[in-house]
Amino acid sequence: MIIIKELHKKFGGNHVLRGVNYHIHPGEKIVVVGPSGSGKSTFLRCLNLLERPTGGEIWFDGQNITAPKADINEIRRHMGMVFQHFNLFNNLTILQNITLAPVKLKLMGEEEAKESAMKLLQRVGLSEKADAYPASLSGGQKQRIAIVRSLAMNPKVMLFDEPTSALDPEMVGEVLEVMKELAESGMTMVVVTHEMGFAREVGTKVVFMDEGNIMEENDPREFFNNPKCPRLQEFLSKVL
Amino acid sequence: MEWFESVWRHIDAAFIEKDRWRIYLNGLGVTMQVAIFAAVLGIVIGTLIAFMKLSARDNGKPTVLSRIANIYIDIIRGTPSVLQLLIMWFVVLKSCHNGILVASITFGINSGAYVAEIVRAGILAVDKGQTEAGRSLGLNQVQTMRYIVLPQAFKNILPPLGNEFIVLIKETAIVGYVSLSDLTRVSNQMTSTLFDAFTPLIGAALIYFVIIKILTILLGMLERRLRRSDNH
Repeated sequence: MIIIKELHKKFGGNHVLRGVNYHIHPGEKIVVVGPSGSGKSTFLRCLNLLERPTGGEIWFDGQNITAPKADINEIRRHMGMVFQHFNLFNNLTILQNITLAPVKLKLMGEEEAKESAMKLLQRVGLSEKADAYPASLSGGQKQRIAIVRSLAMNPKVMLFDEPTSALDPEMVGEVLEVMKELAESGMTMVVVTHEMGFAREVGTKVVFMDEGNIMEENDPREFFNNPKCPRLQEFLSKVL
Repeated sequence: MEWFESVWRHIDAAFIEKDRWRIYLNGLGVTMQVAIFAAVLGIVIGTLIAFMKLSARDNGKPTVLSRIANIYIDIIRGTPSVLQLLIMWFVVLKSCHNGILVASITFGINSGAYVAEIVRAGILAVDKGQTEAGRSLGLNQVQTMRYIVLPQAFKNILPPLGNEFIVLIKETAIVGYVSLSDLTRVSNQMTSTLFDAFTPLIGAALIYFVIIKILTILLGMLERRLRRSDNH
């Protein structure tokens, strides 16, 4: 579904991604872990071209999205993204946050978009917040809305960039719960996170990144019980 | 008692006798015409220049447009507005004899440089994550600007923009240099008519003060309205 070939990203003289190769299949839940500065967020942000790779290719559904003539706005409609800091639109109500993109991109009529938004809000138990503004919500609520906002576009894949890192500890659970349900529904997911429990439980593959490259990749059981590369062993000894 | 009578005599002479208040009113009319035309022009130019300057943002490298914008802002901010006015009146727009028009254009161009920085700062103050979220949903750059960034930037822009308009009203006091009879000039002329400097000048100062106070109150009301979405 997504094929990454020799992906490089430099910020000035800082070489953040150094030739990453990976293949994401439909329905997989890829969990990316690694120390900070390892390039995992940059890797994720390259997948929907929020960061422009400086080398290599990314193919999405048989299309080279790093080609200069690729219509990036069209491609992004099919890739939902959830951010560490939620990034709900502060000037819009919750309902408007969810319906803005489907309506303005003419994928749905106003009424249809509202109806489907209300269904999604019910799914995460926040339908009574439809007319509230983001400023009045807790972090956990904001992140659940942010997930729903992406889902309203019916994406083929969902990218999560440390979705629980900015949350108070007691709110992490409610967000992970929504993500688990999403995983069970069959969504293809790529998740950058520090939640090892989530990686173990939900991930179909766990990927360890360090120094701008993928150092190890395995199914969760092997990954945690039988890590091979020394950097991963060291990393796991610190975080587990 | 005598003191009050003397004060009243001065006020009567400066404002009421021979319907002299009309002269101040006409002066105020000139002041406000120049200020309002200049403000509208300044907002149009300033917004344009702000976007020209912002064209350099993504890659950090300047573009042709951002260079032009920077040169414009440098020149306007680097020279006194009195000189800009004199240059426009006696050199650039020499053939135009409509003083109000020349003054409006001059102050509009001048204000545009300051408005540009206000607009640019207001847009940059909107968290980058808002743009990223918009773009990640497939909205293009223009849609993201229009529906997400600009409505939020407007709240940042309004208070300094109101301030800029207030500065502009007072700055028009120099149009006397090109023989426009604005509020400052007519009150200054009145001092020699009456052989009394105190009353006309204090009177003019009061008029400026009241106009600006009213404006401040209106802007405060508008600002509170716009902030509503922040708090519930």
